[in-house]
Order: sequence, then C-alpha cells, then structure tokens
Amino acid sequence: MFDFSKTFTGIAAASILLAGQAVAGPYDEYAGTTLVVNFPAHPHYDAVMKILPEFTADTGIEVEVDQLPYLKMRERQTLELAQDEGDYDLIAYVVFSKADYVYADQLENLARYYMNPKLADPSYDPDDLIDGYVYNIGFAGGNKGYLAGKTGSLFGIPYGSETSILGYRKDIFEKHGLSVPETYDEMLDIACKIPELEPGMGGLSSRAASGHHASHAFLLHLAPLGGRVFDDAWNPIVNNEAGVNAANALKKIVDCGPEGAASFGFGEALGSFLAGDTAMFLDTTVVAGQIDDPAKSKVVGKVGWAMHPMGTRRGSQTGGFGIGIPKNAENKDAAFLLMQWLTSKKGDKLVALAGGNPSRFSTHEDEEVNAKFPHMKVFGEALQHADPDWRPIIPVWGKVNADLGTTLSKVLTEGLDVQEALDGVAERTRAVMEEAGYYTWSE
Amino acid sequence: MAEIEKKTHPGFYAILVTLIIMAIGPIMLMLINSFKLDVDIISGTSGLIFMPTIQNYETALCDILPYELDHLDFCALKFGGAFVNSLIIALVSTALTLIIGCMAAYALVRFKFFGRDTASATTLMVRMVPPAVLLVPVFGLWNNEFCLDKTGLVGGWIRDTFGGRGDVCLAGTHSGIILIYIAMNLPFVIWILQSFIVQVPRQLEEAARMDGAGPFQIFFKIVLPLIKPGLAAAAIFTFRIAWNEYLLASALSDRDTKTVPILIVNNMSEYNVEWGVIMATGMLLAIPPILFTLFASRQIITGMTAGAVKG
Amino acid sequence: MSTAKLNRLSPYLFLAPAFLVMVLALLYPLGYMIYGSFRDWNPSQALGESTFVGLKNYYTLWHDPNFRESVVVTLKFAISVVTIEMFIGVGLALLLDRNLRGMSLLRTLFILPMMIAPVVVGLIWKYMYHPTLGVFNDTLRALGMEPVEWLSQHALLSIIIADIWQWTPFIFILALAALQSLPRSALEAARIDGATGWQQIIHIKLPLMMPVLIVTCLLRLIDAFKVLEVILVMTAGGPGLTTEIMALRISRTATEFRELGVAAAMSNYLLMMLLLLTVLMLTYNRWIEYRANKAQRAAEEAL
Repeated sequence: MFDFSKTFTGIAAASILLAGQAVAGPYDEYAGTTLVVNFPAHPHYDAVMKILPEFTADTGIEVEVDQLPYLKMRERQTLELAQDEGDYDLIAYVVFSKADYVYADQLENLARYYMNPKLADPSYDPDDLIDGYVYNIGFAGGNKGYLAGKTGSLFGIPYGSETSILGYRKDIFEKHGLSVPETYDEMLDIACKIPELEPGMGGLSSRAASGHHASHAFLLHLAPLGGRVFDDAWNPIVNNEAGVNAANALKKIVDCGPEGAASFGFGEALGSFLAGDTAMFLDTTVVAGQIDDPAKSKVVGKVGWAMHPMGTRRGSQTGGFGIGIPKNAENKDAAFLLMQWLTSKKGDKLVALAGGNPSRFSTHEDEEVNAKFPHMKVFGEALQHADPDWRPIIPVWGKVNADLGTTLSKVLTEGLDVQEALDGVAERTRAVMEEAGYYTWSE
Repeated sequence: MAEIEKKTHPGFYAILVTLIIMAIGPIMLMLINSFKLDVDIISGTSGLIFMPTIQNYETALCDILPYELDHLDFCALKFGGAFVNSLIIALVSTALTLIIGCMAAYALVRFKFFGRDTASATTLMVRMVPPAVLLVPVFGLWNNEFCLDKTGLVGGWIRDTFGGRGDVCLAGTHSGIILIYIAMNLPFVIWILQSFIVQVPRQLEEAARMDGAGPFQIFFKIVLPLIKPGLAAAAIFTFRIAWNEYLLASALSDRDTKTVPILIVNNMSEYNVEWGVIMATGMLLAIPPILFTLFASRQIITGMTAGAVKG
Repeated sequence: MSTAKLNRLSPYLFLAPAFLVMVLALLYPLGYMIYGSFRDWNPSQALGESTFVGLKNYYTLWHDPNFRESVVVTLKFAISVVTIEMFIGVGLALLLDRNLRGMSLLRTLFILPMMIAPVVVGLIWKYMYHPTLGVFNDTLRALGMEPVEWLSQHALLSIIIADIWQWTPFIFILALAALQSLPRSALEAARIDGATGWQQIIHIKLPLMMPVLIVTCLLRLIDAFKVLEVILVMTAGGPGLTTEIMALRISRTATEFRELGVAAAMSNYLLMMLLLLTVLMLTYNRWIEYRANKAQRAAEEAL
C-alpha cells in the first residue's frame, strides 16, 4: 500500500497532516528523518544497499550507510557505542559481538518497541523468523548466557545470517563418477583424490589464514565431528578426540587444497573456487550470489549444492549478522521502523531477490525466490541442522578465538603437532576463563 | 674530470636497465591491471593482450562521476569523497607544517636559541617514534580528552553550525588528523630549513632593518623567497607522509573524514577481492607522489641526502 | 613602543606555534601513553575510569610467548632487511659511481617505490605473490618449475623481499651522494700509488664513507621498526605469528583485543628498544668518525 512514488507520498503526507493526527500513517511522523546506519561490507548488505531506495520511497525516511569491513566495523562500533551520544541509529553486528554489546548494556532491548502499537506492525509475523538464527544472533541471557532459554530476551533481529553448505563442481564430479559426499570421511577422501584426478586443481577450498579464519574453519568441522569448545561447566575441551579430529580434518583439507591454501582468507578461498581452481567449497551460504555472477565467476552453472556433510552428527554453523539499535542512538523509533521493514516478509523477499540471505522460513519457500535461486531450497533444508552452539558467544571469546586461530595456523604452516597445539590452547583458554570469573561457582 | 680514461663497459648499461625495470615493473603491472576486467585478471593471462577498459576507474570514482554507471547497482566506494579528504588533510598539514616550521627554524637560527645539534637530536628522536606507538595515546586523547563540551560556548556553536552529536572532539575531524601529521613532520622540516636559512646572508636582513622593516616583514619579504628550494624539499616530504599514512588516520577518522589509504585497505574486503578496482584505487593514490617524483626528483634527493650526508 | 616590544617578543612568537604543537601532539601523548601503560584500560573507557595495575602489563608481556615471538620477528625482519639493503645499496653505488648516461633517470625512477604509499606497495606485492594469479608463480610455471607458496610457507621472506625492493634505493642514493662528496685528493693519491679498484674501495672509499653509512644504516633500521602498512596489507601478520612485527601487534592489541593498557606497555618496550639502538649506533658513529678523520689525515700525509 505504500508503493507510491516519493513525491506522491510527500503530497499524501502533507494532506494527512492537514487532516489531523488521528489518521496519520506509521511513517509520517518520521518522514524526512535521516538515519545513519553502520553495515558491513558483505554480499548480503550489498543486496540491502540495492533495496534501501525502496524503503525511502515507502516511508520518506532517508538512510545514510557507513559500510565497513566487518572487523573494522566492530572496532568502530566499540568506540561509537561507548559515547554518550552516538552517530549510528541502527547497527549490524557480527554475531560474536552480541555478547560484548549486551553485556556492556549498549543495545536496546526490543521489547518496548514491539509493545508500542504505533511502531509494531501487526502483520510482522515473528514466528516466521528462523528460530536458530534468532536465538543465535538476536537473543541474549538464556541458557549459558547466549542460547535460547527462559531467562533470555531479544536485542536484535538476525539479518544477513548464514549457515554452512557444501558447494561442488557438478562437471568435475560427473567426469570422474564421484558421488556427492554425505559424510566427513567421504568428503576428505574426495578432497584428496581431486588433485590426482585433475592435476592443478585443489580438493576443497577452505579459509586457513592466521587468526579468525583458521579458527572459523576449525570450528566448522568441530561441531559435526562431535566436539565443542567448552563443556557445560566451561572447561575447555577443545583438545579432546573430536577436537583433534577436527584439526586433522582441517589440515588434510588444506594439504589437499589449492596452491597457497594455508594463507587463504575467506576472499582467497572463495576466489579460488570462483576461478575454477578447486572442486569443492565448504563455507557460508552467502557466496551463492557471486558464484552465479559471470563478471566474477568462471564456474557459472557448474556448481551444485549439498548439505554440510555429517561427522558423528549434523551440525552446520550459524553466523553472520544481526541488526540492533544502539542505546545512544538519536532516532531510535525510526531505526526500529527501518529494522522492521527490512526483516518484514516484504523486505526479506526483496533482499533475497537482490541476492541477500533471507531470515524467514517463508522466503526460503517462496516460489519467486526459488525460481530465481534454485539453491534456496537446499539452503532451507540445511537450516534445520543449523547449530546455534557451534561456537560460544561469550565476552572473552575474542581472545580465545585469536589464540585458537594463530595456534591452528602454526599447525597448518609450521607443522606444530595437533595434540600439543590444542593442549596449549586449552591451557591458555582456561587461564582466560579463570580470570573472567567462569569458575567462580565450581570452586 | 676524473674519469676520462675509463671507457664504460656495456655491462653497466645492462645493469642500469635491469634496475630501472625492477624499480618500475611492479608499478607498471598495477597500471596495466587497473585497465583489466576482473575476469581477465583471474583468467591468469598476465600478458598484454586484453581489452583495456576504464570500468575499474569508473567504479572507483562512482560518487563523483556525473553519469550513472550501468555495471553498478549502487555506489559502494566513496572514493571521490575520500580523495577530497586526503587532499584537504595533506595540503593543509603541509602548508601549516611549512609555516610553523619556517618560523621556528628562522627563530632558532637568527636568535640562536639552541644549535643545530639540538635540532638534529630532536629530529632523530621524533623520527624514532613509530606511528604505532602514537596509536594508543592519540586514540585516547583525541577521543576523550581533546574535547569541547557540547554545552559550552565554542562546542555549542560548532554543534549548532555543523550538526553532529555528542561532545566536540578532535577525533573524527580533519583537524585532528592534521594536528598529528604536523607534529610528526615538524622536527624534520625545521631541521632541513635551518640548513637553508643559515645560508641567507645576514647583510640582506640588516639592510632591510635599516630601512625600517620589522622582523615579520624581513622574514616574509627577504628570507622566505631565498629558501624556496628548501621549502620545496620539505613540502614534498611532509605531503608524502600526510598523503600516504594509514594507521593513525584510520584510528582518528570517522565516516566523513576517511582518507584514500583507509578506503583502499577497507576495500580489500574478504568477501570480494576485486583486483581491478583495487589496482585502480591504488593507482589513483599513487599518482600525486609519482608526479612529484618525476618533476621534483632533485629536491627529493636533496631532502633525503641532507639528512645523512651533510648532517 | 608597542612595535619595539613586539620586536623583542618576536623570537618567542616565532617559536610558540611549533612549541605548542610539539607539546600538545607529541610530548603529552607520549606521557599519556606511559601513564596508560600502568593501567587496565579498554577503548570504551576514558583513561581516568581505568584501574591502576602497576607493572602488571609489562610483566604479562614479558612472559607472553606471542609477544616474545613478535619481538623476534621484528628483530629478524629489521636486521635482515637492513643488512641486505646495505650490501646491495652500497654495492650498486660503488659499481655505478661513474659518468653513465641514464644515471639521473635511474635515480629518479629509483625513488618511486619510496614515494608511493606503503598501502599501495603492499597491494602490488600481494598481487604479485598471489599463488595462482601472481607474476612470480606465473614465471616459475612458465619455466617449468614448481610454484612457490610465497605468503604462506615463506611469508617472512616475502615481506623482506618487498621491503628490499622498496628501500634499497634509499641506501643507494645516500651512498652515491656520499661517494661523490669524498675528497678527490685522497682518491687521487691512492691511484698514483697504484692501488687497484678493490684496494681503493676497501682502504679509502669505505672508511671515508663510513660515518654517512652508519647514519644511513641507523635511519633505515629505525624505519624498519616502523614498517606496518605493507605487512598489514600483505599478510596481516600471518600465517601464525610469522610476520607479526611489534608495530602490528600493538595495533592489533589496541583495536582487536581491546587492551589499550597492554598496547601502551608494548609501545613503551618498542620505544625503549629503539632508543637503546639509536644511542648505541650514535656512539659507534662518533668512534668511526674519529677513526675516519685519522685515516683521512694519514692519507693526506702519505701524499
């Protein structure tokens, strides 16, 4: 009903103003406001950039976007959120920032917006939002402090969230009569066979660069292989058998991977798959759009999708971004309206059609979306196994993550022994946890 | 006059040519790739056979081009804005450093506060301080201490006039970045200018004083014109640092004051390695220094060697 | 009267802005950093809100294997870079110190790598080192050799090579300038005595150049400790910590780990290291200068 041109909305708004407040639309009060939002440089948010003009046309609210690489974005937010009055009205945050921001009391609790009849859209249908994403990204204060649970509440809405999925080269698999791997053993086996079958081609392209990348790649394998970083009493168990298996899997993948695999960040890993140098790709669903873009990809139409293979269980990652309203924002109500619009059924579908990652079940089943992106159906299935606990989201995670990432990188490039490396991580992690007070109750 | 009898072996020219190729080869590579589409770059043909395109430059400059681009859905890179920021910051900090440095150098030479040794020592000490060491204190001070209360007289006026929120701090402003660049360059500039000012004949100034000129007039009308070569060298070095610096600028700038190096680093995002555009932005950032080098290499060498050879 | 007063004050007026800037933007921050290094301080606090922890940050760092590794990496990088650059730079200067056509062109083009932004240097080399797209591996493959995993297996070597490319010209130009300002008389005398080219270099040219070379070396060494952007763009410190020099670790500690106090303590360690180095080199320089003077006098007497 708001699909009128901007001028027309303006005229309509003016006439409604004349007619009095009683019949004013939900957006009229905020028309002409400029929201400043902080988004990451990320394919989903590139798609968001394409649909923002539509929001402005619908509502008369202008949006100014500050797009930054996500680690940079986090640094910026650290600073902005700590001010008395911040620049940003709406922020996208990386899932592991949830703990920091909520703990420092820097994000608005969304309850009071959904309770406000002037702001909350009755047709929003929150139950349609994907459960795993909501609990992983938007929810805080539940079980373990970061999972779903009775004590939790909502601080953000998942937006640009992702799970992991296996992409494979249909042509290569057909040529050599390979079947799509269902389990980890099969996948590792094929990954190391490819370089023999197709000289010059790597098996599976994975990120492995020192730091966050290596850690991410490891955790990706840890959950399906049955491991966890902590047990229920916060003891680090990353060095148990499952942990060692996951690290060995990562090492095998990198060893059988394309040239230079040990230094790959996400971009290089994806780039290698796009350039046709690798036969498989196991990472986020975000990449689907680029793989079908002939300007960037040499494998258009050659890629098939399958679920993240199984180890001892199914467990694909959950990650990506959520959007929330900073406590120190200037235009909180209008920011909520933007957030609601973006994650509404309409907004979610628009962003999916523009190449983004939908946050709703209904969008994954939408015919129009599926017609344009046939892989959306596999993605929807994969979501059912999305594991919200594949990585702990606690305030000290940044430190543990950095240590895990650099240590694993040593395993990959300097031949450090896996067990020794993980023992070291566990020991240092214990010290970090001790200092942060996680063992207060167990003594 | 000394080396008449030596005949130059052709081998020397071979060395010369090799060195030249090694020096500019990588830069040429960047130039060539900036005219290639990503598909041409990743197809691995490093050869010269490709359709040159200015599309990468168009993508980079999309926010200041007067026409819409077909290959872009929206303009993600605000290169034009960053370029303007870089220009403002580099030019203003160069100008201010030169003015302040000149005055100080002149006072140090003519009024004999302390000698060249002290200036040399200070220069060396400041050169010793890595920008990374300044990162933490500058970040803290510029964000938290060097602030004006928004309810105060000046702070309130700034907020009323320029908008924005919160207290008025140096961080996030052009002035904040300019201030630290001036401080980083000032000792070097003073030191280099000193060596030029020493050579200005005293009698010229005396004569002007006889005619009733004050110290300011003497400085601007007599001294300044005579030390132009020194000024040129100092200007290039200051400009170079202000134009190229990344670390401090990235800690101090906000979304409206980003400079080009920050934009380039940010644009090497992990999700999307667009080599063509990256090379184009790199090339655009490199153009001013390249021009300086080609047209003022003599001054640059003077500035560089003055440091060690005569000092 | 007021003009006279202004005249008397003018030296101070001339100096005041420079003094003010240096105090405000350099001395005060350095003091602030030292103060901050004794505190547990994160980026969302003002320094005043942080807690005093005494020498804890220094102590933690001293025992932190990651920090120690980054000190080792820094030293390895700085020492190898400066040594290699000195050899190549001085060698080329000695070789090319003659009237060659094209020398001025070489000098001009040689400055280019130093003048363009480190960020750009980093991205050019990152591209050239690219495992599949880069020119190095292309060339190796064309020659039928195994491609090299530059930025993963040989990351430190790779950044050293890039730095050599960028900064050898600096040493070359300074060494050349030094050579050309040598007293002709000493060289003339040596030639009359029938000294060969090598003897001239070892006994006359190098000793006389030594003071300049020491200063050059010191300047390069200081700069080598400051390199950050090139490495940040090329490897961001990885793989592992193999290329994480101290400057990079400081910036990561401050921004990524959000520990400003520790980063300040680290900065202080780095600064102390540099100070020690500078003092050592300057002392050595004094001694060499004294010896060079003696050598020159001896050479003149021999004439």
